[in-house]
Amino acid sequence: MDLLAFTRGPGMHWALTIFVIGILWRLLGILLLRGRRDLSEPRNTAVWKGLRLIGLRSWPRKEFLGGTAFGEIMGYTFHIGFLVALFFYLPHILYFEDLFKGVLGVNFHRVFGFDWPSLPGAAIYFFAAVSVAALVAVLVHRIWDPVKRMLSNFDDYFSWFVTIAPVATGMLAFSHFGAPYPTLLAVHLLAVELLMVWFPFGKLMHSFTIFLARGTQGMQFERKGAPL
Amino acid sequence: MTTLGDALQASGVNRRAFLKFCSALTSLMALPPGMAPAIAQALAKAKRPSVIWLSFQECTGCTESLTRSSSPTLENLILDLVSLDYHHTLMAASGTAAEAARAAAMKEWDGKYLLLVDGSIPTSDGGIYGTWGGESFVDILQQGVKGAAAVVAIGSCASFGGIPKANPNPTGARAVSDLVKDKPVINVPGCPPIAVVMTGVLAHYLTFGKIPELDEQLRPRAFYGDTIHDRCYRRPFYDQGKFAKTFDDEGARNGWCLYELGCKGPITHNACATVKWNAGTSFPIQSGHGCLGCSEPDFWDKGSFYKALSTTEWGNAKTLGAAAAVGIAAGAAAAYFGRKRQEKVEKEG
Amino acid sequence: MSGLDKIAVKVVDGADAPTGNVRALMHELAQLVDAWTRGGEPASIDLRSLPLTRGDYAELDTVLGAGAVSASVEAFGASEVRESQYPGVWRVTHRNEAGEVVADLVEICEVPLILRAPGEDVTDGLIRLKEALQP
Repeated sequence: MDLLAFTRGPGMHWALTIFVIGILWRLLGILLLRGRRDLSEPRNTAVWKGLRLIGLRSWPRKEFLGGTAFGEIMGYTFHIGFLVALFFYLPHILYFEDLFKGVLGVNFHRVFGFDWPSLPGAAIYFFAAVSVAALVAVLVHRIWDPVKRMLSNFDDYFSWFVTIAPVATGMLAFSHFGAPYPTLLAVHLLAVELLMVWFPFGKLMHSFTIFLARGTQGMQFERKGAPL
Repeated sequence: MTTLGDALQASGVNRRAFLKFCSALTSLMALPPGMAPAIAQALAKAKRPSVIWLSFQECTGCTESLTRSSSPTLENLILDLVSLDYHHTLMAASGTAAEAARAAAMKEWDGKYLLLVDGSIPTSDGGIYGTWGGESFVDILQQGVKGAAAVVAIGSCASFGGIPKANPNPTGARAVSDLVKDKPVINVPGCPPIAVVMTGVLAHYLTFGKIPELDEQLRPRAFYGDTIHDRCYRRPFYDQGKFAKTFDDEGARNGWCLYELGCKGPITHNACATVKWNAGTSFPIQSGHGCLGCSEPDFWDKGSFYKALSTTEWGNAKTLGAAAAVGIAAGAAAAYFGRKRQEKVEKEG
Repeated sequence: MSGLDKIAVKVVDGADAPTGNVRALMHELAQLVDAWTRGGEPASIDLRSLPLTRGDYAELDTVLGAGAVSASVEAFGASEVRESQYPGVWRVTHRNEAGEVVADLVEICEVPLILRAPGEDVTDGLIRLKEALQP
């Protein structure tokens, strides 16, 4: 079995399986924990209003912008570029629609009445390039800044690697550059599968946990009557 | 052996016609046209080789593709150039007379004949799923290979196992290259291969006396070096993101890219997009249907012909459901132990 | 089946528009003729090795034009030889008996090889001529 057949077959199968098991394990392992009992009298009972902290924390308070602006801007640049390239490139959309149909048993179009829109390839390439640039910028900063360098561990660097690999290999495959296309495609799929396998076990879980953390803290503040 | 030049003269091909034939051959082999006179000289002096054609687990599509011409044409002249001493399907003789002819040819041209094979070879249960006159295909192949100068595996079945090898492969079908290890093998895959590709490979061997440059799958690079996608005339639509969504929709009628309809062009190496079929008439994508990937190994088992290349064999809902169950169990267990630890911490103050 | 005739069939294959390749080809021809006149070798270009559309072929015919010589050769199918408006630049199209194109070339030479009488054919013909002249 050559690399392409593997990554389009058992590789994808196992990566998805490990991804599902890992995500559910981590999320439930957090969600089912008991919060510390707060025996004080709640100031507000509608604690769900505290969930708006999730939105409020999307941008730093201006007092802190000096130190955090670079990270925030690079972070948004990377995430937007990455998500556009992932969700608006037609071959990816077809992959997700196939998953949707396979798991739920019904067509996306049937359920929602429209086809998920796609952008032209050149636009996707631009967004991917921008996200790669942002990733390189944050790595350079991480290595150069003495505090960040001291704080960084294997998880930080490896998570960075498994994130940039799919985007960079995707760009190479799209532009048919450096090797025959079937090889480029196989390497891209391998990088994607590596990302999926690592995702539940490192800091990439922040994609779920930031919402859990901000939401929980917001609800605690709301209960206490502290300003958000 | 007589020379090819003598053989052509005898069949009424004058020198002008021979030169024209060599121009066509040169063009076919993608060589510079200035080489035509040199090729004519080389071919005229070349010995007329004996060719033995063995057909095993095949549908005869490869022979059909090669001979699909009711009137002899310049390209089919190549068949006249070779001394086709044995062709299991085409020859007039049958039964013991045919088998005697095969044995005689193999003996006379021992070490020098070109062995052409189409169809895969069943190997399960001692090879009983394919036999001629009581001999298994496995044995017949080994006999044929012993005295052959080279072996050409014609079609995807001989090259990679083809449809007999597709899941669950009940007869244990194998490719020629799986069974032949001590002689040079050329794979000419396709289901069927393009006629001029088959004749071009033979022509190359006849002209230069050696096998053409091959890729890792033993396919001649001259014909299998590019993918369909590399030379597809619908590439501008692919690049612009214009895809047909269903057969016969607006996009399909405007000739848009067939990626969404399952075209495997990007991962399929063959000459269909340039050489095309039936003397350059058309090829599947031009006729509105995506490429099946028929010149790649195991293309029958690589997922639906109508699902896009980017969809993969990710399993099914059941396996993901099982994975979800395992994940939930693991999460619950982790939470249980987590809570236990929380209680312990609380108790200790 | 009813309804099928309501589907408008549009035969499209994007193969009609000229692509600008002809101009590049003409530049190459000019270089080859130049090299030949300066004591180099005759040359030829295999048109089927180039990505030319139907529109390109039409443009090529127009650009090459017609010169003084046109000939057809019957040899296992017809071959057409036409000198272009530029002497020494010949369009040679070989067809088989079924009329299909088996080679399509532009030759830069004094006279295309296919028009020359092959030496061995001449000697064979001489033998036949002498036999016919026997009393």
